[in-house]
Amino acid sequence: MTSLDPARVLKRESPNDSKTSPLLIIAGFMALFIVALPLFYLTKRALQIDAETLRIVFWRFKSAEILITTISLSVGTAMIATLLGIGIAWSLNSVALPGLGLIRALVILPIAIPSYVFAYAWLSLGFLPKGFLAALLVLTLTTTPYVTLAALATFQRVDSSQIDVAQTLGLNQIETFRRVTFPQIRNAVAAGSLLVALYVLSDFGAVSLLGVDTFTRAIQNTYQGSFDRSSASILALPLVAISSLVIYAESSTRQRSRVFTSSVRIVKRAPFNRSNRAKFLALTFIFVYLSVALIMPLSLLINRFISRPKPIDVAALIQASISTISVSLLGAFFALLLALPVAVLAARRSRLGLWSERGVLLVHALPGIVMGLALVSFGSDFPTVYQTLGLLAFAYAILFLARSVGSTRTSIAKVPKNLTEIAATLGQNRSKIFLRVTLPIAAPGVLAGTLLVFLSAMKELPATLMLRPTGFETLATEIWNNTAIFRFSEAAPYALLLIVIAAIPTFLISRPDRDFEKGGY
Amino acid sequence: MTTLEVTDLGVKFGEREILKNLSLTIPSGSYAALLGPSGCGKTTLLRTIAGLIRPSSGAIRFGKKLVSVSSLVLPPHKRNIGYLPQEDGLFPHLTVGENIGFALTRNVQVLERKAIIEEMMDLVGLNGFENRKPHELSGGQQTRVALARALATKPAIVLLDEPFSNLDQALRADVSEEVVALLKRTKTTSLMVTHDREDALVSADVIALMREGHVVQFGTPENVYMQPISAEIAESTGDVIELPAKRFKGGRLVSPLHGVASRAAASAKTQKAELGTLLIRPEEIKVHTPSRKYPKAIIREIHYYGHDAILDLEISGLRKNLRVRVGGPISYKVGSTVGVEHFGPIRWVSR
Repeated sequence: MTSLDPARVLKRESPNDSKTSPLLIIAGFMALFIVALPLFYLTKRALQIDAETLRIVFWRFKSAEILITTISLSVGTAMIATLLGIGIAWSLNSVALPGLGLIRALVILPIAIPSYVFAYAWLSLGFLPKGFLAALLVLTLTTTPYVTLAALATFQRVDSSQIDVAQTLGLNQIETFRRVTFPQIRNAVAAGSLLVALYVLSDFGAVSLLGVDTFTRAIQNTYQGSFDRSSASILALPLVAISSLVIYAESSTRQRSRVFTSSVRIVKRAPFNRSNRAKFLALTFIFVYLSVALIMPLSLLINRFISRPKPIDVAALIQASISTISVSLLGAFFALLLALPVAVLAARRSRLGLWSERGVLLVHALPGIVMGLALVSFGSDFPTVYQTLGLLAFAYAILFLARSVGSTRTSIAKVPKNLTEIAATLGQNRSKIFLRVTLPIAAPGVLAGTLLVFLSAMKELPATLMLRPTGFETLATEIWNNTAIFRFSEAAPYALLLIVIAAIPTFLISRPDRDFEKGGY
Repeated sequence: MTTLEVTDLGVKFGEREILKNLSLTIPSGSYAALLGPSGCGKTTLLRTIAGLIRPSSGAIRFGKKLVSVSSLVLPPHKRNIGYLPQEDGLFPHLTVGENIGFALTRNVQVLERKAIIEEMMDLVGLNGFENRKPHELSGGQQTRVALARALATKPAIVLLDEPFSNLDQALRADVSEEVVALLKRTKTTSLMVTHDREDALVSADVIALMREGHVVQFGTPENVYMQPISAEIAESTGDVIELPAKRFKGGRLVSPLHGVASRAAASAKTQKAELGTLLIRPEEIKVHTPSRKYPKAIIREIHYYGHDAILDLEISGLRKNLRVRVGGPISYKVGSTVGVEHFGPIRWVSR
């Protein structure tokens, strides 16, 4: 029967969907509660401020100026990164380049370089300027892969027969791109651009090192200068508001981008352009990007590493690596526990699931420094957990939960419905179906989401700085400590190691051939 | 040995009634087909019997056991059924053996489980494939694994939702025949949804014809083919010619194909005649060399199939061309005149 059969279209009519196990509902509420916690503490702290301090905070910190700087940095970065990302993705998708697989992995790799490491590499050269333009460049180069990834994924979904038809109708290559390809990739790319904007809004390391006064830096200054949590929280609120708007825009454009591609059909790949001129232009473009975004920072780090005056403190290096990996793993594990019920509920489109998902998204808008601030307030109410590894891991889990939920929800929703139905007719109850069918099939996506949390947690700087136990050093904090006092050579081994560790999950996630539908089991 | 009995079943999706007071009884051990056009509710009926859709009214019984009434709807995993969906629905993360043994975990010993898997693989002729993954099998093999999986728990009733539609034409007949033979051999009560009339006629013991949420006719293949209750229903089991006709008292018929010789005589008498329609299957008309015994027709088009052919005949008194199936090695020419004779049973539908 066709897919128009009402029994298949109205999936929610099936009794399987109407009943949700109480355990799952409890888990869903728990997740919602946990996610709401930092927002609650942030607001609570902010409300404790008196009118006089409020006036001083906004006057002293020239908040209008901060607002303009923050927004222009964010918008500027997003725009340039979008142009670069589309250009790179288009080159990879349409030109027959030698070593395509390697190039594809390399252009994603700058994601693994935290912006503060990049800023450190920039400063370590000694003669490059600080300031807005430097921050714009550094942030653009590290965030471009977000757009590249989004654009690559959608380029592959544009049917080449449409391009053939457009060309037989008399459109040249550029017109074809503008009128056929671009409208279909627009929404997905826009979602990527908004991710970039969000990244910049929450960035703390690069703007601090490069001396750009954005909200995150102002928050840090207030907090560190006076340990005045209320003033810092007040400054955080407008930032959270802007970030929430961006998040909202991002998730709704992403949803619109899905509508375009929901039809099931066989997509033929567009043929590659094999002309030497196209190859030369594309390779030059990608080479210039890679040399500034990847080769330059890496070679600077390696140079610093080789020419360091003192031998490496191996013990401290190993200690920091173990700390980084273990606390990030714990964070990823917490995220997995929280993400599973939310993802399952959201995939079933239950109301609780949709609410939890929104909560997760809202919290995703919290910059690391704001999350740190909120949980410091939480810790002052519960001193037993303050400055424990558990609270730090917990902060990582909530900060990056959206990544885990997104990936987990998508892969659970992709498990064909008929498989769960068959399992039901074969005598399996709901929880058995989930454990024996849904979870194993969704496992690659669930794992990818958890890996994303792990990767993000390893790079996270401000939340780590604020929440770590005294004396607990991770790779990120070691880099920060040394860079802040201009000991560039001492920071180099930590920075290199962090990039190497972070590159592994980046490489795994960005591999396009990880797809079980092709029979990859 | 289980009869499947559906009584006054109703299914609603929101305001839309998909099934309306549907009743149906499938005799124990028989292979039944649900035949109807897309959207008539046949898949909904199958899924409701499986327990995947909750009915709004009515009852379903497996033998003497009630599995669905308004107060109690057993979930699918408590019904002991076998279900073959349109796509085979093999679990991609499990091997063939694990797929077949999927339902055999509770209260089944490891050794017994192994024995049943072996037996099932034997049954569907896939010995030695135990450790393959589904994607390593051909389409026909996948269907057979899905069947083995459905039969492993010795279900009382097997439900098949267009089970062979994924297979290519050549394979389809073979696999279908194998599967049906197997189900009949194990005397499993089976219900298959299909929109392929030949599939239903060839394989089923009984056929239920569905239209708009109702079972409109139920019977053996021969019964539903030979004695359709209306032109529309006749259409669903095969091609049909609707011939306008008059019926006189005593049963004498006058139509473009009947009573030509005595037409003048009949019309002269002002006898009371009933107007109606004759339903004729294309193979129930013989084509002769033109003679005075038969009405004349002109061949307008020939659709040649090799083993037989369909002729479009223009006949006086009929606006539409008559489609007639002719077999054998006779050659025809477009434009030539032939005589036609109806020799099948009289199916009269009053106007």
